[in-house]
Amino acid sequence: MDISRILTPRRVNLALTATTKEQAIHELTDLLYHDGAISDRAAFIEDVWLREAEGSTGFENHIAIPHGKSAAVKQTTLAIGRTQHDIPWETLDGSQVRCIILFAVRLEDQNTTHIRLLSQVASALADDEVIAQLLVENDASNIIRLFSQYAETDLC
Amino acid sequence: MNIVCVAACTAGIAHTYIAREKLIKGAHALGHTIHVETQGTIGTETALTQQDIAAADVVILAVDVKIKGEERFQGKPIVRVKTEVVIKSPVKFLEKVADSLARA
Repeated sequence: MDISRILTPRRVNLALTATTKEQAIHELTDLLYHDGAISDRAAFIEDVWLREAEGSTGFENHIAIPHGKSAAVKQTTLAIGRTQHDIPWETLDGSQVRCIILFAVRLEDQNTTHIRLLSQVASALADDEVIAQLLVENDASNIIRLFSQYAETDLC
Repeated sequence: MNIVCVAACTAGIAHTYIAREKLIKGAHALGHTIHVETQGTIGTETALTQQDIAAADVVILAVDVKIKGEERFQGKPIVRVKTEVVIKSPVKFLEKVADSLARA
């Protein structure tokens, strides 16, 4: 599967200025909005917070994976951001967050391919090598390659 | 140990699939055989077969929500766990499961 169908360099920002979870979600939502994947920023962010209310999306090793299933999403996709500051987030290992992967999922997606691609991105996060690269790689297209390689080799 | 597992999280977008990967990696590291069915927002994938279930020593339900088809596991030892536990420490969790089976 081709990850570039849902992830482009325009949806990656490796120098987020956010210092809080709220700001980080806003910055990444802006990326998706300006790239035409989201129709209504406020409505999408509200749905992201609804999901947060059900249990924090802090992962481990400085990664967080907030996600929103929302009517404001026009195209199922994701945005990747790395922050210049440590962000307090409720993570599994107590680490502060430096890399945020925001999933945006359409409410009624007839096209399961996109959601399957998102699930492959999630699967890749179980790989320590991928995590290590996510925290240091400075080229957006290499970040995308990291996931596309994984999607190609993972035949599940 | 032969393990069958169902993974399912609240939104069915992310944690389900991370949990599957972590369980597969952990089980292989410990020399166990594992089949993981995911029940996510795109529905059921890599569904467990009758044979998988019949051959299983243990059923792991790594779930945060109600799943479909739990009756398939009747008569099997079932371990229920939150997805975040298997995501955080898959190997430790699987060792605990093996321990409790050995003692049973």
